[in-house]
Formats: sequence, C-alpha cells, structure tokens
Amino acid sequence: MAEKEAKSIDLATLEMIDKAAQDGAHVVFERAETTRPCPIGAEGSCCSICAMGPCRVMAPKGKQETLEDRRRRVGVCGATPETISARNFVRKIAAGTASHGDHGRVVAKFFLAVAKGEAPGYEIKDEQKLLQLALDLGVTIGDRSNKDIAVDIGNLMINEFGKQEGELLFLRRAPLKRQEIWRKNGVMPRGIDMEVAEAMHRTHMGTDQDYRDLLTAGVRTALADGWGGSMIATELQDIIFGTPAPVLSSINLGVLAEDKVNIIIHGHEPSLAEMMATVCQDPELIEYAKTKGAKGINLAGMCCTANEMLMRHGVPIAGNFLQQELAIVTGALEAIVVDVQCIMQGLVDTASCYHTKVITTDARAKIQGATHMPFEEHNAYESAKAIVKAAIDNYVNRGKNVRIPKYKQDMIAGFSHETINYLLGGMFRASYRPLNDNIINGRIRGVAAVVGCNNPRTPHDASNLIMVKELIKNDVLVVQTGCMAMASGKAGLMVPEAAKEFAGPGLASVCEAVGIPPVLHVGACIDNSRILMSTTAMVKDGGLGDDISDLPVAAAAPEWMSEKAIAIGQYAVGSGVFTVFGCNFPTTGNKEVSDFLFKEMEEIFGGMWAFEPDPLKAAQLMIAHIDKKRKALGIDKARERVLYDMAMRRALE
Amino acid sequence: MEYKVEKKNAPGREQVEVLGPTFEEGKPEGEEMGHWRQKVASREEKLKYLRNGERYWFSQDWFGSEKRKNPA
Repeated sequence: MAEKEAKSIDLATLEMIDKAAQDGAHVVFERAETTRPCPIGAEGSCCSICAMGPCRVMAPKGKQETLEDRRRRVGVCGATPETISARNFVRKIAAGTASHGDHGRVVAKFFLAVAKGEAPGYEIKDEQKLLQLALDLGVTIGDRSNKDIAVDIGNLMINEFGKQEGELLFLRRAPLKRQEIWRKNGVMPRGIDMEVAEAMHRTHMGTDQDYRDLLTAGVRTALADGWGGSMIATELQDIIFGTPAPVLSSINLGVLAEDKVNIIIHGHEPSLAEMMATVCQDPELIEYAKTKGAKGINLAGMCCTANEMLMRHGVPIAGNFLQQELAIVTGALEAIVVDVQCIMQGLVDTASCYHTKVITTDARAKIQGATHMPFEEHNAYESAKAIVKAAIDNYVNRGKNVRIPKYKQDMIAGFSHETINYLLGGMFRASYRPLNDNIINGRIRGVAAVVGCNNPRTPHDASNLIMVKELIKNDVLVVQTGCMAMASGKAGLMVPEAAKEFAGPGLASVCEAVGIPPVLHVGACIDNSRILMSTTAMVKDGGLGDDISDLPVAAAAPEWMSEKAIAIGQYAVGSGVFTVFGCNFPTTGNKEVSDFLFKEMEEIFGGMWAFEPDPLKAAQLMIAHIDKKRKALGIDKARERVLYDMAMRRALE
Repeated sequence: MEYKVEKKNAPGREQVEVLGPTFEEGKPEGEEMGHWRQKVASREEKLKYLRNGERYWFSQDWFGSEKRKNPA
C-alpha cells in the first residue's frame, strides 16, 4: 500500500493503477519504474549536439578535482561543462518558447480567419477584450466594425512572430522599471520566431560558448514566450471564445458516465474543443447516441485543453497529465481526442487493451497506431461532428470490464486577471487596490503562483498539495494554472469553503469578504501570461514598489516535466519573480551555471531560480522570499492605527 | 443595470431622491452565472469601463505607482 501511495495521493488514480495491472494495460506509473532516468542527462552533463560526441562531462563524485582533471573534463570540441549545461538549458527554453509560440501563431491565424469570416461557426464573443487590445495596440476604434478592428489586430499579432527588429508589442504592458531592466540588459525580444531561431543557433556547436551570455540570451527567448507567444494566444482566445469568468464544475475520473458515450478532449489548443462542446449538444447526435444504447454524450477534458473548456463553459475535467491513460483504463471511454502537447504516445498501447479510439486531429501531432481525423477550422462543425460520431459508433464496442472511480470534486475556475480586477472592485471601480491594501495590512502575506505539470518521478499531485496547503495556511494567496490547478481542484482547494478549512485567518477573512477560494484557477499553462498581467496591475496600483521584483510574490513548479515549464520559469525569473522548481533540475551537474541561475540572476533581473525537491521546504523558501520583499517594502511589521482628531490634523498642516 | 431610486424625507427639505441598492438580487443560475462582462452592453460603456477599470494601462492621466514617470 505504501508503495502504491508513493505513486499518487489521488484515490481515483490509485484505483485505476490497480485496474491497469489487473487488465494487463501499461501506464506511465509502471514505465517510470522500468525506465529509470539517465543520471547524466538529468543533471545536464551530456552534450549531444554534434557527432563528435555525445560527450559526458560529469563532475567526479566524492573526490576533489585537480586543476588538470578540470581542464580535461570538457567535450571533444573543448566545450566546458558550463557551456554544455547552459546550452542544454537554453535549448529547453527554445523548445518551450517554440511550443507556446506555435500555439500563439495558430491562434493568431485562426483569429484572422474568424475576423475575415473565413471560419464559419466562430465569432468574436468578447467585444470588450477586442477593444482592450485595440487600445493596447493603437488600433483605431471609432465607428469601425468589430471585424475591421479584429483584422488589424490579427495582422499586428501575426507580424509579432516574424518581426526582425524592434520590440514585441506586449512588452509595453510591463511596469516601466521592468522594461528599463530588460533594455539595459539587452533582452527585449524582437520577434518570437527570431528569438527561438537565435537560441538554436547560439547553442549550435561552436557558437556561443560563454554560459552567462547563453543564459542571458535565454531570458530574451523566454520573454518572447511569456510576453509574446503565450500572451498572444491567451488574449486572442479570449476575444474569440470569451474572457473567463468564475464557473462551477467538477473534476476527476468520476466525471465519466457509465451510461453515456464518453469523449475526452486532451491537449492544449481550444479551437477544436470549443466546437466539440457545441457539437456534443447537437440534438441529432444525442439521438444518434441513443440509437446505440447510450443515454447521451458526455464530454470531459484532460490537461490544458480541459482548462480552456472548463473556464469558459464549465465542461468537467477528467484529470491531469498523469491520468490520461487511466481514463482509458476505466473501460468507459469511447474516444480520447487529442490536439497538441503533453499527449503520451503510450495512449495507443493502453487503448489496445480496451475499445477506446485514440483520435489525433492536428497535422503537427500524429501518433503511430492512432486514428487521424483532421480538424479543419473552415469546416469546424462538420469536422467535430465526424469525430463525435466516430466516438458514438464505438459505444457498442464497450466491453464489460468497466469501472469508473466514484471520485469527483466540485471546483470553481475562471479567474482571469480582468475578472479578479472586477471581483475586487466591482463594475464602478474595478481595482487591485483591495489586494494591495490587504497585502500592506498583512492579512494577505503575499501571492504565489504554483503552476506546471505532473511528473511520475514524484508522487502524483502530492508536492503540489503540500506546497499549496503550506502557502495558504501562511496567508499566501495562491494562483494556479495547468495540471497543478487540477491537482488542487481535485483536493477541494478551489471552492470558497476551502478558505475556512485550509487558509490562515488573514487570507480566509479576505476570501470570505470577496467570496473567492484561497486558491484561484487562472487557466491553462499558456495563461501564465495572465499572471504577468496581474502582477503588473499590482505594481501599477501602487504601494508595493514600482517593479514586479519589488512585490511579495513567488512562483513554483513542484512537479514540472516539460520544456515549456523551463521556458515559463525563465520568463518568470526574467520578469523579476523568485521561482522554485521541484523534482529535479537540469543544471545540478554544474555549480557555475546553477549559481548563475540561483544567485546572479537576482542581481541582474531581480528574480532568480531555486531548486528544492521537498515541497514543504520549497514553500518555506517562497514564504521567506515573500517576507524578504515585505521587509524591503517596510510592511513587515503591523503598525498601530492612530485615529487623528482635529488638533492632530491641524498639527499636520 | 437599471438604478433603483427611492424617495425619502430629508430634514428641513422636501422629499429627495436617493439611489437605492445597486446589487443584483438572487443567485444567478445557468450558463450565464458569473459572466459579469455582459453587464456592459454598448461599445461606449465598454470603452468607459476599460479606461476606468483597466486604468493601469488605459487611463490618460493615472499611472498608479508610475505616475511620476513618463507613460510607456
């Protein structure tokens, strides 16, 4: 039992791991046991970028290295362990930025198609957000139609990807001091694709071989993600699909229905998912499902596509990253429909033990052994309908070996930065002032973003829960995205009642007054850009310094696994945020590179990385950092309230 | 939102009109629950909301902690 618990703390997950073993199905938890991590790769000490290697440059364990040994511990080309470690790190940033950037590009092109009326079934849902971007980007509003404004915005956004000079447009949103820091250090991104290409070039054999220069360039690449590709995707998705607002839904494998056709949509890009949500309500298809013996169609989400559907439509979530195969193991899943990113190839093998169809839909993400049904945005409804129909047709193939865990939990999602602003101030004076005031008066100690993935190298969801509970117990308001948001949702931390049960008295009192949970669901991993906007609003509202690095805030990814997480971490640090990663860290093999990331970056950018696999210690590091910032702001001690009488007021003048 | 106006007696004056409660009564249900953005309908109202509510970026004369500096 103890060994089982070590795999996950989620009861639905444990139940399905057992069932998978009984059914002879292979899942990620088992593979993580049989395939151990490569110790050289894990610490970033392997260079495989040319055919003279791969070269391994690990530091000797347990003995002092002589100067001569150190001179010899280089790659065949002479690349030092610092260069190798930094290059590996920057390549991860480039891959993560490319992933979010490509997501943003697809959304921008789709947005332009919607604006031009070339994507039937989609429309501009949020005029206010459209106007917001128009003001931001200097697009003329006047009496122009929404479509005309949108065409201008779409063209400007698409241009951001191929731009060769200047600065990305959304960087202007950042606090002025932050912009100055970026300019001073030469890390203002010019074009999104250009920064990725340059990072790949810099890390090619024989190019940039100064680890500080490489890692600083990595900041520019990562900023092209957070303030570029990710922000473009988030903003344009809001215009087409609506800016998220609080919505009640439920989460965990228990959202699957025994008597309905179950379809899970999994991945990251929401255009197909949005249409699936509509199509699944088509009376014709519901009737068709009934002809197959089902009582209806049950759509649920997985990973970040799920977050997108949850926060805009309240579509329930079946689980996070490590549960994707387990949804198939229930035996009740007719189709798992995938788009891009974080989709395990293992799905196909797991599905071979059941009747589930694995359906790929994106031309960039096919999987051997899966069924490919291309999603065409210009013919979206029919594309989505064909996919749903394929799932319905598969219902009759469902076997008798069905077991859906009973576990599911209510959660509230949809706290976009615009909605937080509205909730705190209302329609007449939407504001971050109440948040700043409550930070200043000490009811709220600070704000922490706990984001990122799951990783089978650490017990599923456990690190997140330990960290988040420790933070809110200490009056730190937590905002979350991605699979970590789901972990907290499953644990019941994303309902207002959680404030009373889990939060410290100060945070609980504020949550109760506003009517919000102590842990806010902010969106998908692409929506970490919303957190950048919230922190900027906190700075601009005043009283907490004049830069993001002055704020009593911290960030963490306790169960990270993907290259996107490294890119996110680097843009958070580059934006001035102290950021702690758990599990493992890809530069631990090199002290100099780690020192640059963990220490020197604070002097340059005001934010720095930390690595702490123990989630409780990591939370305490975050709290210590928040306290350090409170002290610097002079708000670390409660001040006695003095009521002034008239004589005292006159004395003031 | 339609404003409720109540008439009240003011000391030494005739009846005066007082703005009544402005909250929405009841618990919103269904798909629209929590969708606050529908409260502003016209483009003018939306722009007004942006310049006020999102003043951190769109106000002409208010820059919060940065108001002594030049706007970005």
